[in-house]
Amino acid sequence: MEDLTLLLGFAGIFAFSAPLIFAVVGETLIERAGIVNLAVNGTILLTAMAGFAVAARTGSLVLGFLVGALIGAAVAWLIAFSSITLKQSQVAIGFVLTLLTRDLAYFLGNPYMGLAGPRLPSWHFPLLKDVPFLGILFFQHDWMTYLSYLVIFLGWWWIFHTRPGLILQGIGERPAAAYARGTDVNRLRYLYSVVGGALIGLAGPIYSLSVKAGWKGTISGLDGLGWIALSITIFGGWNPLRAAFGVYLFGFLQWLGLVLQPRLPGIPSQVLQVAPFPLMILTLLLVNIGNAEWVERTLAALPDRWRHFLKRLLRALRANPPASLGVPFEPE
Amino acid sequence: MRKSLFTVFAFVLGLSLILSACAPKTPTPAPATQAPATQPPATEAPTQPPAPTVAPTEAPTQAPFVFGMLLVGPYNDRGWSQAHYEAGKYVEQKLGAKMIYLDKVNPADRPGTTASQLAEELVAQGARLIIFNSDDMKDESTKFAQEHPDVFVIMASGDQVWKEGKAYTEIPNMINIMGRMEYGKMIAGCAAALTTQTGKIGYLGPLINDETRRLAASAYLGARYCWTKYLGKDARDLAFKVSWIGFWFNIPGVTDDPTKVADDFINSGYDVIISGIDTTEALTQAKKAHDAGKAVWAIPYDFIGACEEAPDVCLGVPYFNWGPEYLKAIKAAAEGTWQSQFVWAGPDWKDINNPDTSAVGFVKGKALSENAARMVDQFISELAGGLNLWVGPLKLQDGTEYLKEGEVATDQQIWYLPQLLEGMEGQSVPQQ
Repeated sequence: MEDLTLLLGFAGIFAFSAPLIFAVVGETLIERAGIVNLAVNGTILLTAMAGFAVAARTGSLVLGFLVGALIGAAVAWLIAFSSITLKQSQVAIGFVLTLLTRDLAYFLGNPYMGLAGPRLPSWHFPLLKDVPFLGILFFQHDWMTYLSYLVIFLGWWWIFHTRPGLILQGIGERPAAAYARGTDVNRLRYLYSVVGGALIGLAGPIYSLSVKAGWKGTISGLDGLGWIALSITIFGGWNPLRAAFGVYLFGFLQWLGLVLQPRLPGIPSQVLQVAPFPLMILTLLLVNIGNAEWVERTLAALPDRWRHFLKRLLRALRANPPASLGVPFEPE
Repeated sequence: MRKSLFTVFAFVLGLSLILSACAPKTPTPAPATQAPATQPPATEAPTQPPAPTVAPTEAPTQAPFVFGMLLVGPYNDRGWSQAHYEAGKYVEQKLGAKMIYLDKVNPADRPGTTASQLAEELVAQGARLIIFNSDDMKDESTKFAQEHPDVFVIMASGDQVWKEGKAYTEIPNMINIMGRMEYGKMIAGCAAALTTQTGKIGYLGPLINDETRRLAASAYLGARYCWTKYLGKDARDLAFKVSWIGFWFNIPGVTDDPTKVADDFINSGYDVIISGIDTTEALTQAKKAHDAGKAVWAIPYDFIGACEEAPDVCLGVPYFNWGPEYLKAIKAAAEGTWQSQFVWAGPDWKDINNPDTSAVGFVKGKALSENAARMVDQFISELAGGLNLWVGPLKLQDGTEYLKEGEVATDQQIWYLPQLLEGMEGQSVPQQ
C-alpha cells in the first residue's frame, strides 16, 4: 500500500509537469531562433482563462486547446513583429505583454469564475498501462501528458538531428552567416516564434482543463509559473531533454515538500513550500558558474588532478545561450 | 545610445498603455452599485453628526444608507467572499440600503495598499459603515475603526470587541460577527463518516489559527459521533488527517498546492475529503478520481452553491448565511440603535437552511446516499434537540486534558482551542 502511494505520487509529477513541458519546449524553440519571449507568464494565464471559457461555453475541449494555442501564437507573433519589423526591444515588449495578458486574463475571466467546465478525461494507454511500475508511472494519465513526452522528444530531435534544426541553431548563433548561405533569417524567426508561442499557449488550457481544472481568477494559483518556465529554459541549456529534466526536478521538489511536511515536523512547513524555488536558483547557478571568468582563474590555481576533474564537470554542466539571443538581425 | 533610448521610450510607452488599460480596473468591480452611491455624500456628508451613537434619524428617509464592503477574494469566487457579497445584496434588498464594495483586498492582488486605505476610499465614496470580511484584515480594521470613530465597522470573523475574549479592545463603533460554523462542520464530518468505505477522512486545511483548528476539530467530533453512534464502529478505526496548505487559497511558492494535497489524500486511501479552504480543489480532484472509477467524495465549504461544480461527488456543503446578521447590524447603524458587540450566531434549529434566520446551514449533496442522508437528518435533529459534542472527556492532541468528564466547553474554550484533538492526525501549531 505504502509503495503504491509512493508510486502514484511519482506518477503525479509527470501529469503535473505536462503544461510546464509545453511552455519550456516552446520557449526553447523561440530562444534558439534568437528571440526572447518574456511574456510566458501572462500567456499561460490568458490562455488558461480563454481555453477554459471557450471549452465551458462550447463544451468542446479541442476548441479550448485550439484557442489557447492561437492566443499563445498571437502574443509571440506580436513580440516578433515588434522586434523584427518595428525594431523595438524584445525585452521591453515581452515584459509589457506579460503584464497586459495577465491583467486581461483576470479582467475578461471574471464571468467564468468558479464555473463548472469540461475536463480532459484520463485515458490509460492500452497495453503499456499494464507494464509493472512503468505503467502506473507514465501511462495512466491523459492525452496531453502523453503529448508532453512526444513534445520533449520531437523538440530535441528537431533541433539537434535535422537539417532545419541545424539552420535554427544557425540563426540563433550567427544569423549573418546563415543569411549569407541563403537563409531568410527573419522569416524563420517569425515562424519559430509562432510555433513556440502556440506550444506555450497550450500550457494554459492544460492547466485549466486538466491539471488544475477550472478558472478561479487571481486565486487560480497559476501566477508565477511562467517565470519558472523561463528559468528552466535557461537551466535546460536550450536543450529540450535537459529542460524536461529541470521541469520534472522542479515537480519532484514540490511533491517532496508535500510528502515531507508531516514527516519532518521540526522543519517549518513554509520552508518546504518555498524550497523548490531557491533550489532551482542554486541549480541555475551551478550550471552556469563555469561561464564566469573568476571561476576559470580559481580553477587555474588548483592542483592538476582536481582541476581536470572540475573542469570536465563544469563543461558537462555548462550551457551557453545562443550567441545572438535577443539581438535583432538586419540583412545588409 | 540610440538603441537604449529607444528601449526606454518603448518601455515607457508600453507601460503607459498598460496603465491606461488597467486604470479603470479598480473601480469596475462595483459598476452598477457604485454610480448612484457617489452622488449624495458630496453634499450631505458634512451635515452628518460625527458620533455613531447619535446617528441621524432624518437622513435615511431621503437617501439610502450606504455601506461599504471589503472582500478578501473575488466577489464571485463561489466561496467565502461571494457569501459575503450576496449577504450585502440581501441587505440592499431588505433595507433599501446601497452597497459599494472592493474585492481582491489581499497583499497578492493589491501590493502596497492596506485594507484601511481602501476603507477610506469607500468612505470617500459615501459609505458610512464598512464591513471587513477577512481574518487577514483584523489589525487593519482595528486601526481604521479607531481612526474613524464616526464610521461604523463590522469585522467579520474577528473577536476584538468580545468582552470575554482574549483580544478585547473597547471600540464603540465596531461589531464582530461570526457564524457558528462548528455545527456546519460537525454535520459535514458526520456525512463523511457515514460515507467513507476506507474509514479514512482527509481535511484540507488553510493556515493554522484558532478558527481553523476549532473547525477541523468540529468536523472530527461530528465524524466520530456518527461513526460510533450510528454505525456502531470503533472510534480507533476512524482515521482523520488534517493537511494544511498554508493560506486560504493556493499561491505558487507560498502555499502547498491544494490540488496535489487532494491527490495525495486520494492516493493514500482517504476517500472523503472535507475542504476548509476557499477554493474547490478537493471537489474537482475527487471528481477526477471518481471519473477514473475510484470511489471518492468531497465536501466543499463556505458557499451555498459550492456543490454545483461537481454534484456527483459532493456529499453536501456547510455554508455561511451572513445576510440576517448584517441586516440587523446595518439597520441598527441606520436607525441609531448601534451597540458594539460580539455576535456568534448559530443556526436556526427550526430550519437550518432558512435564509432569513439561520446564520449557518448545510445543504445535502446529490452524492449522499439515501440511508446516510436519513442519518444526517437525524444528527441535525439531535443537535437541534441540544446534543453537544464539545463535552468532556476530551483530550488535546498531545494527550493533555482539555475537558474533564462531563465538563461542557465554554465559548472561549471552543473559540481559542489550543491544539487539535486526540485522535486527529496533523500539525496543531504553526511552525515558527
